[in-house]
Amino acid sequence: MGEHKEEMRDVTFRITRFNPQVDNKPYFDDYTIPVEKGITVLRALNYIKEHVDATVTFRAFCQAGICGSCGMRINGISKLACTTQVWDELPRCRVPNVVKVEPLRNMPLVKDLIVDMDPMVDKMKHYANWVESVMPEERMGEKEFLIAEEEFQQYDKATDCILCASCMSECSILRANKEYVGPAILLKSQRMNVDSRDGIHDKRMAALVKDHGVWDCTHCYRCQETCVKSIPIMDAIHGVREDALVSRGVKDTSGAKHAEAFMEDLPKKGKLVEATLPIRTNGMVWTLKNLLPMAFKMIIKRRTPPPPPLVKPAKGLKKFREEFNEMSEHIKRDRKENQ
Amino acid sequence: MKRYAYYLSCINESMTKEVDRSLELWQKDLELDFVKLHESTCCGGSNLDYVSPKHFALVNARNIALAEKLGLDLVTSCNTCLLTIRSAKKKLDESPELREEVNGILSRESLEYKGTSDVRHLLWVLNEDVGLDTIRGKVKVPLTNYRIAPFYGCHILRPSTILGKDNPLEPSSLDSLIEALGGKTIAYEHKNKCCGFHTLLVAEEESLDVAAEALGEAIDTKADFIVTPCPLCHTVLDGYQAKARKQANIKQSIPVFHLSEMVGLALGYTPRQLGIKRHIVT
Repeated sequence: MGEHKEEMRDVTFRITRFNPQVDNKPYFDDYTIPVEKGITVLRALNYIKEHVDATVTFRAFCQAGICGSCGMRINGISKLACTTQVWDELPRCRVPNVVKVEPLRNMPLVKDLIVDMDPMVDKMKHYANWVESVMPEERMGEKEFLIAEEEFQQYDKATDCILCASCMSECSILRANKEYVGPAILLKSQRMNVDSRDGIHDKRMAALVKDHGVWDCTHCYRCQETCVKSIPIMDAIHGVREDALVSRGVKDTSGAKHAEAFMEDLPKKGKLVEATLPIRTNGMVWTLKNLLPMAFKMIIKRRTPPPPPLVKPAKGLKKFREEFNEMSEHIKRDRKENQ
Repeated sequence: MKRYAYYLSCINESMTKEVDRSLELWQKDLELDFVKLHESTCCGGSNLDYVSPKHFALVNARNIALAEKLGLDLVTSCNTCLLTIRSAKKKLDESPELREEVNGILSRESLEYKGTSDVRHLLWVLNEDVGLDTIRGKVKVPLTNYRIAPFYGCHILRPSTILGKDNPLEPSSLDSLIEALGGKTIAYEHKNKCCGFHTLLVAEEESLDVAAEALGEAIDTKADFIVTPCPLCHTVLDGYQAKARKQANIKQSIPVFHLSEMVGLALGYTPRQLGIKRHIVT
């Protein structure tokens, strides 16, 4: 006992409880149990269920970070219970020695720590996130699909996704609007779009550039930072955007227009011309309706961005412009060579 | 005197001029010399990287090369410029081919990207180079009695693979600075969350919801003001505050200060000198 004493301590787990048949809203129950160093949050939950309160409900399966079932918020961050050590959480507790365990956010709560994954699955379907073969049915089996190493590298990391929905739970925009496509879906879309075996890029892209699609991501990087498989999700989101703009020329959405403004202004001024950005993104009518009241306040405070002629260009703009245009020539040349 | 190449962010040249104005007032007090890079251009604001990855590399290789020419680190007061330029730096440092292509073009101006200058935020310079002890010693008007809610903003924290200073889950650099200036820092959940800026013109309602959540929590903690190291966060939290609060039905308002203004206040400058009167919420 003596030498193991410091490896063992009582820890309180403050767990969200909600039974839709009897509760109006979720509440917390505290469970204090002896925990040994090296124990995961999932094993602690199993202990509580077996020894303290059999009604505590959660979803879990593989216990090895493979199946993605046990996503939940532990001390406020979405992660897998089965790969999270209780000991690692102790210094992160707001209330000393109390580990807070809550269900994932942004999805309907079913019971205690279980959320409804159907909205995520439905979106995967809506955005057609599967490979539909470029090979006609009748020619299937005639030859192998060989994938080049460079192509595989493009989606190697994305295939690590276990659909645990931690990124969906952390997403800033999904929290504001449940219609938003969400990071896990965008990651999967990009993974399918760059797959040369796939024949429905255009169909997928048509849905992705619509309202609540790829342009609504606000670049907060919370999805990427919390990904339990360290997948660079934002690279995939940017990949979908680049694909929409560059390869498919889908430029008629406000998101695309907003993004292109940066490219437009750089050679002109070397600076972003902020004053006309709302108009170029959403048109005059939207701008007048949405921003006019604010503009008055800003004029009074002398905070309005200067009109285009008064934007002070960067010093040495002429040379910069030449360089910028030279890079445009490089890109054209590279495209020709690749055709 | 420590010298830095100072990057001119578009927004600090137009809507949030008070950021650089404040910094100019007190830089010498902390023995800092920020040399303005008038030749620097827009970084591409977290958009150019996917609109045209090659132009993104060129433009920011040039921005960094301007600092390298002076033999100085590049410092910015904007989180998004920080992330954008650091992302470009990472790409350039990892790809000799990209460096070669970009340097071939930059030779028109006799510039060369070598990778010798670091790209840093003003907040990092204050914490690491000046040091909190020195700052504490220079304070003239301690911010005692002020309960201050730090709002870090995303692009100084995430992705940690490119930024890598503060722990994005538990950032502390701004909290420590507040305390060094004599203020009381407020612990609240939204201090490392998003302001919604980057979708303001594309998904306004969602953006304002994101902002309102942060504002609402800061107001609930009875903070006297919010402080942020990012002029984009400031634009949402201050400029769009009335709109966000209206949408979320939050009655009370809260002032939002820039990092450089907060430091200026503690070093004895007046709100008028620092341009705080230019804010929408006062």
